[in-house]
Amino acid sequence: MTRLLFISALFPLMGIAQGYQVNLQGQFQQGMGGAGTALMYDASALFFNPAGASFVNRSEVTVGMTPTFASGEFTEDNTNATANTTSPVGTPFSAYGLFQLKDSSRLKLGLAVYTPFGSTVELEEGWVGRFALTRLQLRAIFFQPTVSFRITDKIGIGAGFVYSYGAVNLQKDLPLQFQDGTYASAELAGTGHGFGYNVGLYFEPIKSLSFGLTYRSQVNMAISDGTATFTVPSSLEEKFPSGTFASSLPLPQVLTFGVGFKPTDQLGIALDVNYVGWNAYDTLAFDYATNTESLEDTKSARKYENALAFRLGGYYNVTTDLSIRLGLAYAMTPVQDGYVTPETPDANRINYTAGLGYTLGEKFQLDFSILYTQVKREDSNLETGLSGKFKTQVIAPGLSVTYNLY
Amino acid sequence: MKSAVTYLFLIGLVLVACKKEPVELDLGTVDASRYVAIGTDATAGYSDDALHYDGQISSYANILATQLSATDEVDFNQPLLSENSVGINLNNDAKLVLDHKTDCKDTVSLSPVRIASQGDIAAFSQNTYSSAPFDNLGVPGLSFLDVATVGYGNSSLGAGNYNPYFTRMTSSETNGSILGDALARNPTFFTVMLGDADIMDYATSGGTSGPIPPSSGADGVGFDGTLNAMLLALTGAGAKGAIATIPDVTDFPYFTTIPYNGLTLDADKAQTMNDVFNPIGLSFVEGDNPFTMECDCNQPYNVRKMVEGELILLSIPLDSVKCNGMGSIVPIPDKYVLTLAEINELQTKIDEYNAVIVQLAQTYDLAVVERAELISELKEGIIYNGVAMSTEFVSGGAFSLDGRNLNPKGQALLANKFIAAINAKFNAAIPYADVTKYDGILFP
Repeated sequence: MTRLLFISALFPLMGIAQGYQVNLQGQFQQGMGGAGTALMYDASALFFNPAGASFVNRSEVTVGMTPTFASGEFTEDNTNATANTTSPVGTPFSAYGLFQLKDSSRLKLGLAVYTPFGSTVELEEGWVGRFALTRLQLRAIFFQPTVSFRITDKIGIGAGFVYSYGAVNLQKDLPLQFQDGTYASAELAGTGHGFGYNVGLYFEPIKSLSFGLTYRSQVNMAISDGTATFTVPSSLEEKFPSGTFASSLPLPQVLTFGVGFKPTDQLGIALDVNYVGWNAYDTLAFDYATNTESLEDTKSARKYENALAFRLGGYYNVTTDLSIRLGLAYAMTPVQDGYVTPETPDANRINYTAGLGYTLGEKFQLDFSILYTQVKREDSNLETGLSGKFKTQVIAPGLSVTYNLY
Repeated sequence: MKSAVTYLFLIGLVLVACKKEPVELDLGTVDASRYVAIGTDATAGYSDDALHYDGQISSYANILATQLSATDEVDFNQPLLSENSVGINLNNDAKLVLDHKTDCKDTVSLSPVRIASQGDIAAFSQNTYSSAPFDNLGVPGLSFLDVATVGYGNSSLGAGNYNPYFTRMTSSETNGSILGDALARNPTFFTVMLGDADIMDYATSGGTSGPIPPSSGADGVGFDGTLNAMLLALTGAGAKGAIATIPDVTDFPYFTTIPYNGLTLDADKAQTMNDVFNPIGLSFVEGDNPFTMECDCNQPYNVRKMVEGELILLSIPLDSVKCNGMGSIVPIPDKYVLTLAEINELQTKIDEYNAVIVQLAQTYDLAVVERAELISELKEGIIYNGVAMSTEFVSGGAFSLDGRNLNPKGQALLANKFIAAINAKFNAAIPYADVTKYDGILFP
């Protein structure tokens, strides 16, 4: 099962994203609108708050995934023509290992592997925006070894080093036609890697109230040796030489402040506010090794703006073995009017979430979550002139299994 | 647990399955049950210097008829050539395609070449009217003066005295006329694009054809009188319609591709030219020079240098320019050049014709289609859903390989101008055509 998870893990999906950020890193938090910087639950704390991880008094391994079903539709303003996205099922995935050397030790070590960014979108053949995009697959996987330390019973700190590996594959048609009328096409594929960190503070002044503050740094995924393949009529091959290209994609910094409140043993409430440094994504540039008069380096303005997200959720322990969760999130879009692209047809959105936790004996914990959101955006892109309405519905049911080592 | 996952999968699939909103067609006050198009080359779909199937299928008239139809069944009958016809023009040539061509200097480049050594001559002698009367009455080369001419397709009148494109489609060679055949369809909606062939006739002859017909005069003499009579007949039974303006044709790639000062000389050649021409007062320099051209002027040997603003036609034999001294030692014949005076005459007539069009549109409550605006926009360059288009020859992607007629993409843009005008005038919401679905330049 684990192997299977790993194989299919690398296909996160856009619909769920704010921009191309994917906030599906833990089932407990997903059930509660994505909040959890100040409520520690399991080893997923390594992502949500490296400091809080030291307050999870267990050694455990958590593996989860969230198959994401997105159905998108684009209606072009001028023609009323509609195009559907036929995106494959996305599978954001996360795996956490949290270890303490002895019971109640102040120091915890952990490894987190997760997919915080990504999108796969594939559009109906022959759609009206084919010269902007026909298919995009963006994948990023983060590896984060982490140290978490409980300074006192009230305060903890934590830090993780992030190594990221990513791959991008972008396909679009070119407005040049073969004799039979079919369009030429371009495929840009490459891999890159980057570095960053994830640090946090956790403060629990009294048992029922906790605060969390985390900062996940920006990670620049640099592609230096990508492959550009152009399928063009033979008479134009010289003008479109296939070769290598360089590009880079910033995965933005995220500052999060969270509050946790546990009025009783049964009930907990969490609120997170994310501030995401999307303004790093100003331009999408492709630098081709070989330029011709027809193939120049491209710089497409994206002009993303920093954005906030608010996440509110709660849990209620029905029995000692069963917990139910509900949540709501409001994420503001980083994409300005005039810059909406088929890659990320983003908009302000409300996520509705619910979850369930079930303890199976001493060793196992199962957590389920489900998320639903609808994204609607109307725009006229300044670069391509593509104008119309994007509508995306996403349903993302997730499952994680936690094995308690001792 | 497994069943829970399966169940969640199903929820996802159901959501994926139910969407699809119906496309609505709101025609406003237009009754499109019988649409008839009257016009010239563009209406017929003439392009790549020939009438051919692909061009006919993507004439703005056929695209408009498609958009006017709520279903896939489009009731708009066109005198189509067969799908595999090589096309035909009045010189019996086949259509142009882009291919590798070797010039007189053995340089191979992508150029428009004829797809076959001879056009589909048989097409002219086959009258296709019997299959069904036609709704697209676009006839290449139609002077507005002939729109009501009886026997306009009468082949027994002899070459030059009838239009063989109309012979293919007339209800009767001796008794048929374009307007008559149009009225016989009892149109509920019509489009008109006339006057442009008269302008183009003058322009593509380098101003050597007869004068452009007057904008003012009686039916069969002037543009206003003739158009008025025709519109009176067409609207007589209550039909609504749209009429298109005439663009500044001197912006077409046919006239703008070859620069007036494309005579590039090295020091030796400049010296040779000066040796020849200095005695008659013309001098040349190393680098770019204006071409020499024939003129009816008070110059010795009737030769002068071209001046800025004058236009060389794409019909000029390029091999003569490259290898036989045309434009340098041999002055360019007048028929390949539009002089400033000729350009002025063209633009004056275009303005006058357009004033008539706008005036009569008001009289008959017609939508005015801004075809002139389309060409101005293309001149500036447009980006349509990621496709850059302009009036550049070949690379501009909107004109066909003859440089003077639109290709299917350009025709779709033109059809969208019709739709914009009809929507505005008749309170309709006809969806625009998806231009990317139509062919541009096809590369080998």
